[in-house]
Amino acid sequence: MLETLRLCVQLTKRNWIVYRKDLIANVSPTIFEPIFLILSLGVGLGYFITDIDGRSYTAFLAPGLAVSTALFSSFFESSYGFYIRMTFENIFKAMLTTPIGVHEVILGEYIWLSIKGAMMCSLLAIGFACFGLIKSLWLLPLIPIAGVLIALPCGALGLIATSYVKNINQFQTVYAFFIAPLFFFSGIFFPLAQMPNSLKYIAYALPLAHGVEVSRALFWNENVLYVLGVHGGILILYSAILCAFAYYRIQKILQN
Amino acid sequence: MKIISAKEVTKIFSSFTAVDKLSFELRKGECFGLLGPNGAGKSTFIGMLYGVNSISSGNLEVFEMNPKSQARKVKQRMGVVTQDNALDDSLTVIENMMIYASFLGVPKKEREKRIKDLLDFMNLSHKANAPIRFLSGGMKRRLVFVRSLLGDPELLVLDEPTTGLDPAVRHLLWGKVRDLKAKGKTILLTTHYMHEAEILCDRILVMNKGKSVAEGSPSELIQKYCPGYVAVYDQIEKNESVKKFGEKHNFLIQEDRSGIYLRAPKFEDLLKMQEETKTFAAQLRPANLEDVFLQLTGQELTADA
Repeated sequence: MLETLRLCVQLTKRNWIVYRKDLIANVSPTIFEPIFLILSLGVGLGYFITDIDGRSYTAFLAPGLAVSTALFSSFFESSYGFYIRMTFENIFKAMLTTPIGVHEVILGEYIWLSIKGAMMCSLLAIGFACFGLIKSLWLLPLIPIAGVLIALPCGALGLIATSYVKNINQFQTVYAFFIAPLFFFSGIFFPLAQMPNSLKYIAYALPLAHGVEVSRALFWNENVLYVLGVHGGILILYSAILCAFAYYRIQKILQN
Repeated sequence: MKIISAKEVTKIFSSFTAVDKLSFELRKGECFGLLGPNGAGKSTFIGMLYGVNSISSGNLEVFEMNPKSQARKVKQRMGVVTQDNALDDSLTVIENMMIYASFLGVPKKEREKRIKDLLDFMNLSHKANAPIRFLSGGMKRRLVFVRSLLGDPELLVLDEPTTGLDPAVRHLLWGKVRDLKAKGKTILLTTHYMHEAEILCDRILVMNKGKSVAEGSPSELIQKYCPGYVAVYDQIEKNESVKKFGEKHNFLIQEDRSGIYLRAPKFEDLLKMQEETKTFAAQLRPANLEDVFLQLTGQELTADA
């Protein structure tokens, strides 16, 4: 148990060292895309939308965009990133000859995805806080929770995709038909309340909408405990189910 | 002490049998060669040693432990030169090795010194701070040797360590393997280069299609299956007379697309054949392991089976 933990920590260190080598290239897309979105939509389109649920459009967008970084950072890491390490670089084959076992590889991946999700979400939240988009600054330290709660289920989805694709190009299909709609229809850009019921159900059946709720509660200091309990709870449940299934799928590939 | 003990080890992947009732023992301090063409089941077997491939039936013990259920303990005492280098391209030589030293639990204080010593041993000290992408193929291979030695393993598994390398690097690595053996390491080597096995291994097991087809020391195998001398002619069509001579004198004759091989018990027989048929063989040489393999399987070892 202790040894497993030690190895997971070493694996995470390894991931961080590799990630740090190209820090700017690695961080920029995840951080700057939402910044450009809030500028173009929030400031641009927001000129015409003066009141949405009682706030400016920029204030409405900020929490969802912050938490979306956890979706993208974890999905790309666990799909393209994991697939490349597994198939092209054969990194895991070399690691598995050391005391590291398959369960450490996968658990280490979950830890790394969580850290990245928390980090990205926090970076953006701090940036938004500078522009007064966070109502109560003392809630800022809780933002990483939203990042982790999205990074885990979405990262697990990426791993599940990794276990099914036949080649790396097929991730584009997963992105086009799953990740992109998830991003656009989870209530980041408009309130889900006005959507047709069927779409609403679909949105809440998937993780991101709940992450947006958690993030909003924290950004706006509204019903924090209730939202964390309900939507946070649902995300913990999703994480457990999806991480378990991803574990089952990936371990079958890494050892047979 | 038996380092590896395999008893009728079998691995079945859905419909095909990759390893078929493989049995052998690797004793302490020995260099043991698993020989076979691509697809013979060598790498599948290696995977079983570090627990990524399960065993369908039979019994396998490494250090008298089960390599699947006690994988961590086994792997702590074993170093593997993997077929793929699998180094982190963006990191430097030192960074790569520090990461693996941490996986192996080498105490922090010792890491740097151990890496430095091993880089010295593999003549790589001058590249310590170079990113992997600036290393040649041979240097990367040597670095994988360093990686496999970081945990000071008792058992060293070399999975096709010299495939794709130029002769100079190959000779250098052979020298290092000999040094390691002299230091008391037990070595399991897989290769499809006969010559490599012949000069490095104390004992050899020839595998084909997952099965063991012969086992023994290189000289024993040659004595048993292929005693004598071999003449090799490159062009079959021009050498009908040679073939007739061989048939008349009961030489062992084998033909494939690359030429015709005639084996006779005595060197003089082959000289006489050249004289009488007025031909010159491309090679006249003592029989070697390659001939053993041809004899045993009727196919060229280096060909993709």
